[in-house]
Amino acid sequence: MSEPEDMAQEIRQTTPYDERLLLAQRTDSEINQAVLQPMLQTGKGFWVLVTGLSLIVAWGVYAWSYLIYWGIGVTGKNRPVYWTLFITTFVFWVGISHAGTMISAVLRLLKADWRRPITRGAEAMTAFALMMAGLYPLIHLGRVWKFYWMVPYPNNRLMWPNFQSPLMWDMVAIFTYLIGSSLYLYLALIPDMAMARDHTGSWRFKLYRVLALGWRGTEGEWHKLHRALGIFSVAIIPIFLSVHSIVSWDFAVTIQPRWHSTIFAPYFVIGAVYSGLSALASILVVVRRGMRLQEFLRAEHFDSLGKLVMVAGMAWVYFWFAGFIVEWYGNEPVVRELIREEVSGHLAPFFYLQMSANLIPIALLVFKRVRTTPALLLATTLLVNVGMFTERALIVIGSLQRNDLPFNWGNYRPTWVEISIVAMTFAGFALLYTLFSRIIPFVPVWEIKEGRLRYTMRRIGRLLVPTAAEID
Amino acid sequence: MTLMALFHESADTAEVIDELHNLGIADNKIVVITGLPYPEGALGRHREWLTLPYIVLAGAAAGLGIGLFLAVITPHLYRLDVGGHPPVGFPPAAVIIFIFTMMATIVSTFLGVLWEMNFPRFGPAPYHKLVTDGHLAVILDIPTRLEGQVRQMLETHHAHHVGEPERMTL
Repeated sequence: MSEPEDMAQEIRQTTPYDERLLLAQRTDSEINQAVLQPMLQTGKGFWVLVTGLSLIVAWGVYAWSYLIYWGIGVTGKNRPVYWTLFITTFVFWVGISHAGTMISAVLRLLKADWRRPITRGAEAMTAFALMMAGLYPLIHLGRVWKFYWMVPYPNNRLMWPNFQSPLMWDMVAIFTYLIGSSLYLYLALIPDMAMARDHTGSWRFKLYRVLALGWRGTEGEWHKLHRALGIFSVAIIPIFLSVHSIVSWDFAVTIQPRWHSTIFAPYFVIGAVYSGLSALASILVVVRRGMRLQEFLRAEHFDSLGKLVMVAGMAWVYFWFAGFIVEWYGNEPVVRELIREEVSGHLAPFFYLQMSANLIPIALLVFKRVRTTPALLLATTLLVNVGMFTERALIVIGSLQRNDLPFNWGNYRPTWVEISIVAMTFAGFALLYTLFSRIIPFVPVWEIKEGRLRYTMRRIGRLLVPTAAEID
Repeated sequence: MTLMALFHESADTAEVIDELHNLGIADNKIVVITGLPYPEGALGRHREWLTLPYIVLAGAAAGLGIGLFLAVITPHLYRLDVGGHPPVGFPPAAVIIFIFTMMATIVSTFLGVLWEMNFPRFGPAPYHKLVTDGHLAVILDIPTRLEGQVRQMLETHHAHHVGEPERMTL
């Protein structure tokens, strides 16, 4: 037996490192097939899922049409609760969108290799979540056909969008983030489109050929792609921070009690990271099972992602408490009433749901078994998003129920129209993601192959340990 | 004439490139195609100079200009006076200017890299599908008189599929 074979044999016998994706004994051709095969095989379950999700989307479109026909009065909006489930879900989706950039750009810059198989799933999540978020301002308008008034163009009525309004910042910021994340997703996809082009036929070949743009993989092309992805990674981080900050300023620049807070921007950003990373973990568990991607999404990835969720959760608790203690200590009458409603009033069930659903996962994720067992991780991260959705509802809807004019206090109940439209966006997101995973290679093949170049085994005393080469 | 050869190993490819240089074949007559990005210098080639950073800077400057125009100039063109408020405030203008600058930076990076790569380019080009299966392809533009010498050198370094490249429609 030759020396490298000896070493490989020894690794298999004495270390757990052959469980690592980047050290697995696979050829490039086998990796290509392992990624492509699940895309090409669509069973009955896939079509049942697509049909079910399409029906929910169709029902939501009907509800939206109903709203457009009869007007915004068919929702539960009232005075004083003028922002309701639509804005709550809008904030939730913008939050979900944050993990894509977090995983892809930040971890790319930090050269964290565990990111490699999950970046595309994260980037796709960002793009689809933003598409869903982008629907809500339109839905919330009621008269959706007036949307073009927000677009700046010279006109003979001398109407001009007010760029000092946070709602304009919102539109511009979300549009920018959607463009940025879509282009980032696509740019990193081009080499894998060429790989798919080389291994498929019929309509898939035509699609991949167009999307590959003529990619061959020359040294120059790789060099330019790397440079562009590096610039993207740096440029998109401030955008990702600004988007949820701007969403938070929609609230914070008003004088509504509990909204008018300087900590809202970082609090929203960290909440977005917490919910986005959790959503990513949930999605990866589901996709891994549905597409049989156990080869690529391993315990090591869930372990690292779980740790990241846990840290984000701790930071969220810190920011929540930093805001809460100042409000509590200030003892302003309306804020005091809102806190009383949350702690022991009619909002109490939601408050305790929010706190328990956000705190329990942090404690659970301390355990490696929870982080590395897909079913446990799925349950834990779903719980986080139940908590984060409730948190957004308490901020948006809960806070508006009380204000400085006690005669103007009120409550809110959602109608079937609002619930149907919210369900439409959840189903729409799942539908887009399901179709995406069957058309586009879910695992970034070239990034995994590149990562495999970096790793080798090195002997330290009695141990053989993986060692990463310092290459870009 | 044009020749293509495929390799299993990057070390063989790097040695072949060195020997081609020794035979007097210029770097711009050699194209290496791979299914994954090899580190700079791994194959003994020089990286080309990129204009991409300058395109990105120009894009960012244009975005800054658009942001300034929308946030600072247009409120004066379409004036809406609100008691006690200036037509333009620094904090809201800063938000708009920042976002437009970043949007233009992102879009110019994308368009710039496509322009640098001369994409999209769907015409026929020398290529081999085994590249995405992990093989390294070397495409050479050499004088006909050197063909025998080059072929022998390629085969010594375990090249396979040596011959005229197929021009595939990409």
